[in-house]
Amino acid sequence: MAEMRMEQVWFGYRTEPVLKDISFSLEPGRFYGIVGPNGAGKSTILKLLDRFLLPKKGAVYLDGQNLTAYNLRDLARKIALVPQSSPDLSFTVEEVVLLARTAYTFRWQQPSGEDLELAREAMALTEVDHLANRPVAELSGGERQRVALARVFAQDTEILLLDEPTTYLDLGHQIDTCRLLQAKAREGRTCVGVFHDLNLVANYCDYVFVLAKGELVAEGEPNAVFTSGLVEEVYRTSVHTLTHPQTGRPVIVP
Amino acid sequence: MGRIALILVILGAVVIFAASVGTVSIPCRKVLAMIGSTLPGLGQRIPVEWTAAQETIVLRVRLPRVLLAMVVGGGLSVAGVLFQGTLRNPLADPYIIGVSSGASLGATLGLLYLIPRGLAGFSALPAFAFVGALGATAVVARLGSRRGRLEPTSLILAGVAIGAFLTAIVSLLMVLRIQNLQDVYLWLMGSLSGRGWKHFFTALPYVLLGTAAALWLARDLNVYLLGEEVAHSLGLDVQKLQRLVLLIGSLVAAACVAVSGVIGFVGLMVPHALRLIMGGEHNRLIVHSFWVGGLFLLLADTLARTAFSPMEIPVGIITAFVGGPFFIFLMKRGAGGNG
Repeated sequence: MAEMRMEQVWFGYRTEPVLKDISFSLEPGRFYGIVGPNGAGKSTILKLLDRFLLPKKGAVYLDGQNLTAYNLRDLARKIALVPQSSPDLSFTVEEVVLLARTAYTFRWQQPSGEDLELAREAMALTEVDHLANRPVAELSGGERQRVALARVFAQDTEILLLDEPTTYLDLGHQIDTCRLLQAKAREGRTCVGVFHDLNLVANYCDYVFVLAKGELVAEGEPNAVFTSGLVEEVYRTSVHTLTHPQTGRPVIVP
Repeated sequence: MGRIALILVILGAVVIFAASVGTVSIPCRKVLAMIGSTLPGLGQRIPVEWTAAQETIVLRVRLPRVLLAMVVGGGLSVAGVLFQGTLRNPLADPYIIGVSSGASLGATLGLLYLIPRGLAGFSALPAFAFVGALGATAVVARLGSRRGRLEPTSLILAGVAIGAFLTAIVSLLMVLRIQNLQDVYLWLMGSLSGRGWKHFFTALPYVLLGTAAALWLARDLNVYLLGEEVAHSLGLDVQKLQRLVLLIGSLVAAACVAVSGVIGFVGLMVPHALRLIMGGEHNRLIVHSFWVGGLFLLLADTLARTAFSPMEIPVGIITAFVGGPFFIFLMKRGAGGNG
């Protein structure tokens, strides 16, 4: 199973750095949450982990090798990404989910039995199987979000990167999504999600990174990280931290 | 396979019909026999039942023009698919990044300064247009990229700016040399009038190779529709694809413009119409754009030379006149989604 590491990474689009000297490592079998205010650099971290962006300084490693040493097709079999938004498509749900198998097939090659099975399994897990033949453009925001989730599951990678996978979802589907990611982590995969809902992270993530103004200001298990003091300082608002009566995990309320 | 055969039969029938109509009407049966007589092996067995004049009209005037219309229509449509696919802009057409304005400037310089002075023959006109088209595209591609990465929005804006600039030069040249105005004006409007086998064989390799290359990239274009980030994470080299697709699209469009002038609307409308009918999958889209585009321009050109016979009207008027309302019909009827 794959390990990832970010070492002293700096990144900036123009002059002002978006990320400053970020170092951390990701171990297999864990579900990581990245939180922080708008513009903290959360999405940028995911893009660096996926090599969509390259660090200005420092490096990202997968299994001890610099990401730039991999070819893209090999990388696509190891790392999958769900970005924040996806364009309108006239493709059907099943066509989109099958495109996840691109790195495993050649042009004009029909999807194999395994490809089809993985796609169907992923659609069933995310409860979009009944939409298989509907064009994605006709779906609601929440349904599209679940199609995107089905797509990364069908890609069958050891590392899953998800940028706000619970946006647009109703409460039931938010919880389902987090449980699915937790289950994927238990299979030995690494899941990394960017979230705005601290309580989802507190409840389901094994480990949390807190970003503010491009710096990694805290990391650790939810109980250790989510203190009133830290949340208030990072988000510039006053909160109370309670303890969930059953799980013992922190609950953050205004 | 049955469907491909049906399409070929339809195309063949329309080609023969188009070659038979005109100022001088020649029966379809005779046209078919004439075409058959040129085929090796079959030729001797067909009795000659036509005059030499009829043979000249069909085999040397109409047939090359008819086939050229198909090649140009098909080429412009495939180029349209490529530009719309990579630039993700519904207004993208084969000319959006400077092909038409560059070709216009090249052709105008040729028509106004080189050809009248005997420095070049009329036959060199496609070469001027082709060089102009690729020159302008190269400049736009350079302006539309930042640190070696193409940026679709900058590319479109650069295309518009360079297009306006070059068009201004063309207009200035036309005003300065008003005595040759008509040649330039007719060229700019786009027409297949007076084109022969040489034009056909000039454009054919670009269009065929370009379409084959487009089909080679069809799956990559499908993946690219999911967005740059997703395409990248599915193993696609997004930058390479963008560059390749724009290069292929520009070469095909430049070859078409070089032989026919700026024929509008086909490359914009045919891909859109097909997308509304059959969805955005690129293998299907490219194949069908090729033959539907060819058929559409052929019918439009046939109408252009017969509707007000013996006067010819520029084919671009027909493509817009017929295509516009049809497209609005499709748009109002069709589902959403531009991918």
